[in-house]
Amino acid sequence: MISLPHYLAVGAILFALGLIGFLSRRNLIVMFLSAEMMLQGVALNFVAFSRYHGNLHGQVFTLFVIAVAACEAGIALALFLRLYHRKRSLDVSLWQDLREPGMEPTVDTEPLPSVPKEEPLPHLPPAGVEPVREERHYV
Amino acid sequence: MTLLADSPDPLNWTVLLPVLAGGLAVWYLLPSPQKRPPVFGILAGLVALGGVAAFLVRGLGQRIPETVEAGLFFGFSGLAVVFAVLMIINRNPARSALAFAMVVLSTCGLFLLLAAPFLTAATIVIYAGAIIVTFLFVIMLSQQEGPSNANLRAREPALSVAAGFVLLATFLVGLQRVYDRRTVDAAIEHASSLARADRIPEEYLSPAESINVDNMGNHPPPALTPKAAEFAAEMRAALRQVKLGVPRVGDGRRFGDHPIVQDVETAINFLEISGFRYRDAEDVRTYCQTVADGLQRLKHLRQGSAISDDLTLSEHGMVRPVERPDGPRQLPAANVSAIGRTLFADHLLAVELAGTLLLVATIGAIAIAGRRERAP
Repeated sequence: MISLPHYLAVGAILFALGLIGFLSRRNLIVMFLSAEMMLQGVALNFVAFSRYHGNLHGQVFTLFVIAVAACEAGIALALFLRLYHRKRSLDVSLWQDLREPGMEPTVDTEPLPSVPKEEPLPHLPPAGVEPVREERHYV
Repeated sequence: MTLLADSPDPLNWTVLLPVLAGGLAVWYLLPSPQKRPPVFGILAGLVALGGVAAFLVRGLGQRIPETVEAGLFFGFSGLAVVFAVLMIINRNPARSALAFAMVVLSTCGLFLLLAAPFLTAATIVIYAGAIIVTFLFVIMLSQQEGPSNANLRAREPALSVAAGFVLLATFLVGLQRVYDRRTVDAAIEHASSLARADRIPEEYLSPAESINVDNMGNHPPPALTPKAAEFAAEMRAALRQVKLGVPRVGDGRRFGDHPIVQDVETAINFLEISGFRYRDAEDVRTYCQTVADGLQRLKHLRQGSAISDDLTLSEHGMVRPVERPDGPRQLPAANVSAIGRTLFADHLLAVELAGTLLLVATIGAIAIAGRRERAP
């Protein structure tokens, strides 16, 4: 049977990947998803320990983790909407004037690749002629 | 280098290979304004996945039987890791959210393997249902046209990948150091084979002329044969590894090693001083048996399958020994009712707190999101 360290290793991998995502991505939503993924790694550890020790405290702890994550998601998404209304973008670097005093601001030097603009969908002219409806009078 | 010195593989390639390849793959695939062909990143990622699988199969020192459970475990964890990577490298946040839903579903499969059916259902409903749908709504409400800094650039990709993967390597090395007991098993086997032998093999015995009594009547320690020196080093390495698990005993002011640890050390020292040449070969066998028995007992203590009767004292006060079975104990079959009993018998205050937290969060979310922007 698969024993405890294997699950711990998988949890550690999920946690580290979430950490990388949180540190390196600039979209607020993706950063938050990465934080949730770190929570998933921790939850996996808790459930594995619960199985290993043969009691349910680990599973109960995971339930609380899920409850706190749901609160977090509600508040964070409301905040993201407010931030988006202010700057019309979800880029976290737009808020870098909140940084510590004495730090240099990050400046993006490389230009973004230009995406070719999509051609507008063709508008078809109305085809055919609308048949004239004859009004018949039956006497 | 003491961390790596005792492991059978001195540079720890079982950990280093997947970590290096995975770091390279994630760094390469993270969004960047330069166009890079994704082939190299995918190749490095496949190498890393293979390395992780090899680490799980071999590196933890436990055999994995070929059962359906092992197949399901590798399937679910492989899916979870692959979709986790896809989530952090995707340029489209909606696709990231869907990849995260897949990560959650795969983790739920692992939960099911760990005998947590209620948690599986709850996680699917809350995470993959409610939270992901909310995310998709927010993504829809904050749509942007064209290329954007938020999605096409990464912030310090090399540094963050280095931070994450150094942390991961630390975790994996730690797991390997704790759970890989192959060094100890080999040492126990070696010592008990010597203890069972009819004659101690010639290559362990120090040459007779090196054992002499000087005119003061002292025995200078004889020159050990390479085989004997290797034996002593192997036993000491195994002892260092297992003695971490036993309590240090003392009277509250001074602390010393556990009696079993002291016995094993003394036996190794006697064998070394005598160069395996006692007048009676029975003595050598007895000492080897002491070493083997002591290591075996320490290993059981460390695994938790044997309980140390001694009062555990440490520099930080008295500690109760942790009782653990060798393998997993049984969980109750009626998962939901057992969780309910634990929840409302042992964790009632926490339930109330969680409920209050949810209420406050609801009010907060409404207050934050519902406020109208004043005209600038």
